[in-house]
Amino acid sequence: MSGERHHRQQILPEVGQAGQERLHRASVLIVGVGGLGSPVALYLAAAGVGRIGLLDDQRVELSNLQRQTLFVDADQGRPKVEAARDRLLAIDPSLPVEALRDTFRPANAAMLVSAYDLVIDGTDAFETKFLLNDAAILLGRPLVHGAVLQWSGQVTTVLPGGPCLRCLFGEPPDPGSVPSCEEAGILGAVTGIVGSVQAEEALKVLLGAGAPLQGRLWQHDGLRGDTRVIAFPKDPACPVCSAEPVITDLARYADQVSPRGHVLAQSR
Amino acid sequence: MPHHPLAPSQVERYARHIALSEIGLRGQHRLLQSRVLIVGLGALGSPAATYLAAAGVGTLGLIDHDEVRLANLQQQILHRTETVGSSKTDSAARTLASLNPEVRLEIHPRRLDRSNAMTLMEKYDVIVDGTDNFGSRYLLSDAAFFLKKPLVHGSIFRIEGQATVFLPGRGCYRCLYPEPPPPGLVGDAQDVGVLAPLAGIIGTIEAIETIKLVTGKGEPLVNRVLLHDALAMTFREIRYRRNPSCPVCGDHPRIRQLQDYNAFVGAVAR
Repeated sequence: MSGERHHRQQILPEVGQAGQERLHRASVLIVGVGGLGSPVALYLAAAGVGRIGLLDDQRVELSNLQRQTLFVDADQGRPKVEAARDRLLAIDPSLPVEALRDTFRPANAAMLVSAYDLVIDGTDAFETKFLLNDAAILLGRPLVHGAVLQWSGQVTTVLPGGPCLRCLFGEPPDPGSVPSCEEAGILGAVTGIVGSVQAEEALKVLLGAGAPLQGRLWQHDGLRGDTRVIAFPKDPACPVCSAEPVITDLARYADQVSPRGHVLAQSR
Repeated sequence: MPHHPLAPSQVERYARHIALSEIGLRGQHRLLQSRVLIVGLGALGSPAATYLAAAGVGTLGLIDHDEVRLANLQQQILHRTETVGSSKTDSAARTLASLNPEVRLEIHPRRLDRSNAMTLMEKYDVIVDGTDNFGSRYLLSDAAFFLKKPLVHGSIFRIEGQATVFLPGRGCYRCLYPEPPPPGLVGDAQDVGVLAPLAGIIGTIEAIETIKLVTGKGEPLVNRVLLHDALAMTFREIRYRRNPSCPVCGDHPRIRQLQDYNAFVGAVAR
């Protein structure tokens, strides 16, 4: 751990030497190494987070490069996690970066989430976002959720005990009701601001500093230049973070939650 | 015959932009034709330059007089351990060229000052402020006004950041801050702590604002400053107007050429 490398972070009273050591001992899993995962990974690596896990099963494509700033032109065709690891090591060669070429699914959710202190949602599929939420609540790990579409994005931080994504949104939207980034487009830089907010939240949670977006949803509209933070309560009937949850066990996830992320009524 | 001459590889590279109704082929073509100057390749210039290069801004001008130091790497994501010791312009150009070989990079490894500012800035459509000191901010603001260029402003201090856009005639940095802070109140940037993702947020907002100015879409942050507190996680917007008694852009301007900004801010030249 280099004092000089992290000097300007360490002299913040909210960080200090103790905070820097805390970051050095911390581990973060980034699920989805794309538009959001790129700035998160770059900033957490630069900050000196001790162990970073990168999970993604895709390869770099030309159409990624407009926003996925971890990758360079010559990375086209390479597995994203390998290209990303190289990029992070160029910032700090001493970092232990774990390149995990896989998808996030009920069968590996518990093993993956429990192996890290904090999880970042850099995915683009609703069912994966809700699975991440459920796994984070069930395993007591903080989750920093982020999502983007067109010129807009949002972030919230789910801490153990909630409130959680299911308190906020209930169920994932119906298939086809929300267009994909491929269909509707995405301004590349919007992923930059949303991912940077996620990285900022992750550092605050790991440091125990400031007020994270717990029970608050940050929303940004880049086209209008509008940013707002709205508070949301815990849902007393939340299927996963309430006192009487319906989603109770990742090992029985398929019995409790549909492949689309909807709670199955009979599971109770 | 397409009237927007994008190559098939460009249509694929920028597909997510072209799919946006506000951008489309026409807006992407405008980005590819645009010339943007980034002044300062540090904490703010890093994300701004990265996202503007990825977006396909045709020509990026890069100004910085400094060398990469190890202590930069915590907050300046353009630079790498192996470029410590090289000029920031070279280091940035390497990263940006590898990211998007289509972007033309014009590097200016020098300090922007009153002797070169007008000449350097006049060749660009939009100026992005990635500097870290008050003298440079006043210099950029005055020069952008004299040249009638839009200036995208961003600044960070410890855990707080702000961004706004100055359009000539609609207010300038002096309208917002008529006087610099007392010398010594704000320390040398190297000795001020910074939470790096905060720079990512502000620098990326600068990139978004630049893209809006180039494409003529959306509502740029004109006459409003976005203020962000990273610890409290709050965003506030403060409105401001052109100051009719502004010495530069007011009704009766007293300043009609660039000044000695070191003297104005009471800085000791390094």
